[in-house]
Amino acid sequence: MSSINVKVGDLALNSPLILASGTCNFGHELSSYYDLSILGGLSSKGLTLLPRLGNEGCRVAETECGMLNSVGLQNPGVESFIKNDLDYMNTLGTKVIINVAGHSIEDYVGMVSRLDQFSSKIDALEINLSCPNVRAGCMSIGSERDQVSEVVSAMRKLTKLPLWIKLTPNVTDIKSIAYAAQEAGADAIVLINTLLGMVIDIKTRRPVLHNNTGGYSGPGIKPVAIRMVAECASVLSIPVIGCGGVMTYEDVIEFMIAGASAVQIGTGSLVHPTLPVKITEDLIDYVKKNDIDLSSLTGTLRMW
Amino acid sequence: MTVSELNKEYRAVLVEKKQLNEDTFYLSFRCPDIAQKAIPGQFVNISCSNFLKRPFGVASTDVANGLFYVGVKTIGKGTNSIASLNEGDMVDVLGPLGNGFNFEGFDSFILVAGGTGVFPINFASEYLQAKNVKHTVVQGFRCKSQIVMNRPEYVLSTDNGDVGIHGNCCDCLDTLDLSLYKNCAVCCVGPLPMMKAVGAWATKNNLKCFVSMEQRMACGIGICLVCVCKLNAEAEGQEFKHVRCCKEGPVFPYEEVIF
Repeated sequence: MSSINVKVGDLALNSPLILASGTCNFGHELSSYYDLSILGGLSSKGLTLLPRLGNEGCRVAETECGMLNSVGLQNPGVESFIKNDLDYMNTLGTKVIINVAGHSIEDYVGMVSRLDQFSSKIDALEINLSCPNVRAGCMSIGSERDQVSEVVSAMRKLTKLPLWIKLTPNVTDIKSIAYAAQEAGADAIVLINTLLGMVIDIKTRRPVLHNNTGGYSGPGIKPVAIRMVAECASVLSIPVIGCGGVMTYEDVIEFMIAGASAVQIGTGSLVHPTLPVKITEDLIDYVKKNDIDLSSLTGTLRMW
Repeated sequence: MTVSELNKEYRAVLVEKKQLNEDTFYLSFRCPDIAQKAIPGQFVNISCSNFLKRPFGVASTDVANGLFYVGVKTIGKGTNSIASLNEGDMVDVLGPLGNGFNFEGFDSFILVAGGTGVFPINFASEYLQAKNVKHTVVQGFRCKSQIVMNRPEYVLSTDNGDVGIHGNCCDCLDTLDLSLYKNCAVCCVGPLPMMKAVGAWATKNNLKCFVSMEQRMACGIGICLVCVCKLNAEAEGQEFKHVRCCKEGPVFPYEEVIF
């Protein structure tokens, strides 16, 4: 009793906390702040087949309860990652989750077949069907049920690695898309990526972001994420991983009650790099005081 | 890496606050680690009333008393909340962050400051002074009321000719007798057009120039990739690359920056 261990499908994690893709790079920087082995896992910066320079101009706009970013998937490309960062991630003592992004089904298939060659160094592939900052990009695939089904089925044939599908919240019916991913062979669903937003500079009457729009993250999006986790968990048989605005241990518990088996921390790390250390300590206190296993909270929500 | 070597997020107390002009303040915070480690050109990220921290170039340190200094120009809600702190108030601080000026390999320096660049340039001047390295500080302001962190020996310009040379930093630089500066480098912190012009002046005079770039930042530690600036990457077979201002910068050789 009193453990914070959790499981996502067959994958056992020593903590429900996973660093969210795009907010921890490949772990080099944050490992100078704390021992990352306290985490359940680390999800890499979103990778593409070829290197991407990302968007030009201003990439961040602050809001009252969070921020918008339009980085545009700047990344060194999968080959550079395999050469320079994959082995490093394996030294961190936490689960290695590789975030995979693309523009087309062919991109995803190419990435998954390449990464599957390194399956002994990878614990899960997180398929990013949700980046809002790339034109004609992955969010458009993640918004169409049939396309989600097609891309997940195609990847499923190529790997035995757990496939976690990270979905965009910028859709009308998240349940049907999550369900389509499950039926096509997904092992878990990650909810949610950023919400598409815009911030306007009232002096210039132009968007702050040079990409005009960006992905909204931070505490402001948490209620949306909680709602989507609860909705999807009620119809899925595969695990859900919660993500969106986690700043405290209570947020983690809220996500788990809603139905999450594990919880990602993203923007919180940008504000306080050692936030996961504090949340881990608080979760350990919580399970001790309540004499429960944290995993027993998952899906205990009682709707009115 | 042992625990004592790990980077930390500090709680720091505001020790003293001075108002320098209408919208500019000079604050000292107690944080012995930052005071000890910071070098000129590095910055700190300080919490404010808004969601993200705000970056400030370190303006000075007092190692004996464990203090570091920053200059705060009030621009929006975040900087206003920091300028409104009272002595004794606490903030969260990350730092020192980024790469400072690399003074190795040069025997003399021309330090050029505009806007809030006067603060990191002050630290650079103090640092070189302590090491007895020949240097001259050049400051450019819009008008007399904007002048802060000035000393009598500085070469000064104002856009409207209120005080000092009537013109900009490059007009000041043209008055220097460069034969007096052996193996010299230029270090410049200021608005983009100023750094571009000073870099061009340095190039024309065969002087190496370093500029300190500023971008809207989020994390300050290299994990979010929002604060990139554009550098020439012809040597790597591509037109340009995006590098993190907070991690690879903020100081870059002028000739590498695509303005």
